[in-house]
Amino acid sequence: MFDSVLLFREALYGALVIAVACSTLGVYVVLRRIVFVGAALAELSSAGLALGLWLAGIGVASTLTTHPVALSVAVTLGGALFFGMSGARSRIPADATIGVVYAVAAAVGILLIAKAKTGEAHDIFLQGNILGITHSDTMVLVAVTVPVLLVHLVFFKEFVFVSFDRETARTLGYNVVFWNLLLYLTIGLVIAFAMQFAGVMLVFDFLVLPAVTGMLLSRSMAGMFAWAVASGLLAALAGFSLSVPFDLPSGPAIITVSGVIVFVAWLFRRR
Amino acid sequence: MTALIAFDGVSLGYGRRAVLTDLSFEIPEGDFLGLVGPNGAGKTTILRAILGSLSPMSGAITRAEGLRFGYVPQRDQVDYNFPLKVLDVVLMGRYDRIGLARRPAARDRELALAALDHVGIAQLANEALSALSGGQRQRALIARALVGKPNLLVLDEPTNGMDLLSTTQILGLVRELHERDGLTVLMVSHALNEVANYVRRIALVQEGAFRVGAVDEVLTEETLGEMYGIPVEVDISGDHRTVFVRRESAMAVSDDV
Repeated sequence: MFDSVLLFREALYGALVIAVACSTLGVYVVLRRIVFVGAALAELSSAGLALGLWLAGIGVASTLTTHPVALSVAVTLGGALFFGMSGARSRIPADATIGVVYAVAAAVGILLIAKAKTGEAHDIFLQGNILGITHSDTMVLVAVTVPVLLVHLVFFKEFVFVSFDRETARTLGYNVVFWNLLLYLTIGLVIAFAMQFAGVMLVFDFLVLPAVTGMLLSRSMAGMFAWAVASGLLAALAGFSLSVPFDLPSGPAIITVSGVIVFVAWLFRRR
Repeated sequence: MTALIAFDGVSLGYGRRAVLTDLSFEIPEGDFLGLVGPNGAGKTTILRAILGSLSPMSGAITRAEGLRFGYVPQRDQVDYNFPLKVLDVVLMGRYDRIGLARRPAARDRELALAALDHVGIAQLANEALSALSGGQRQRALIARALVGKPNLLVLDEPTNGMDLLSTTQILGLVRELHERDGLTVLMVSHALNEVANYVRRIALVQEGAFRVGAVDEVLTEETLGEMYGIPVEVDISGDHRTVFVRRESAMAVSDDV
């Protein structure tokens, strides 16, 4: 059983890196009640990927065939900027704005892929293909994840303060817009890179479920981060290890294990 | 008395729409000012201008050099889903002094514990903020405002949604901080009767009108009737004032609704 898992160890390493990155940032996503921003950014990322493939197909930017992630990152960061700058005073409710972006990005992504010359072959990008992760892919994921997590470690108290009580932070001289944007941009960056390997559904899972586990089991911010990362790693490891020998799709297997972990955490939740 | 904040012919609004025009008043050092008005009257607009998060459309707002706010937000502005201990929350009041990317030191924790002691909840330092009652949460937020050693304590609707006992205790605590520690206080509230018996001066804001002065100058039947556009009675018993709308007017308003 483990021999077959070891055959795909690079894919497993990649999944673990994605789990650590998304689970950490997911704590803010869940606490700030912006879980569907995560979903919308993931859809934007896939739409960006599709746009790259479509443009390459019509000969506008042939290099995008080999680097389709470039447009994906650009579009996702654009979305992160948009959500980060959205004011509370807008006439349109924030969740409705997120819904519009989610629906349009998902639809446009499908349309672009349908018309891209290499569309069918690349459709797997949109759904994710954890097993296809190579050593160099893992290195790219590490290169994105480490700086992002370092920023979050160094400015931990700033991110928590601005997320918890932005008005008071503002009165103490914090540039709330800057910290919000930095948070959204780091989330967007991680989603854009994770998306091309893990797909929308698995990225959304890693952003939400481990943080919910952390919330159920901990009474401190540090504890919530620790439980979120630990449960994200466990879900990736167990889901992946079960999917390979039983010939199951890896993403849904990991998500199912995440769901089981959340249920167990709920049983043992702190009151 | 040095003015900590001075408004001079200030107009405030959003976009091109002015909400309040030609405001001129000061908050001198040692003042205890209540900013009172119904919801939507413009209290938050004035508060945002005082705190510096809203620029005036015209006129000038002058802040004393070294002015430091101790801000107590409305309780529902804070998200109690965050798994934070009371001490962690109070320490936030020192974050700007601690500096970017630096962790709170032992001295910061001592000061945070002293602030909690000052507001009477030192024993709750290691409790989860979410586990506290409404009154205790408000005390924790006041401790956070105090730990930064402010020279102007600003409270936004501090008794909103509280029962009578908690309301009296919180207002008593704020008065104690003003009288015992000499702290300058600005308290924003929609509850005229709550504020009237604690503050020294009162600023009324209502549908674009603004009136500020000593409590016994502003809380007169004539001034209130003019501001609110309905006959009002002020009942004075000892040093306690109760403002109420005359019964027949209240009935008429009720019928209209």
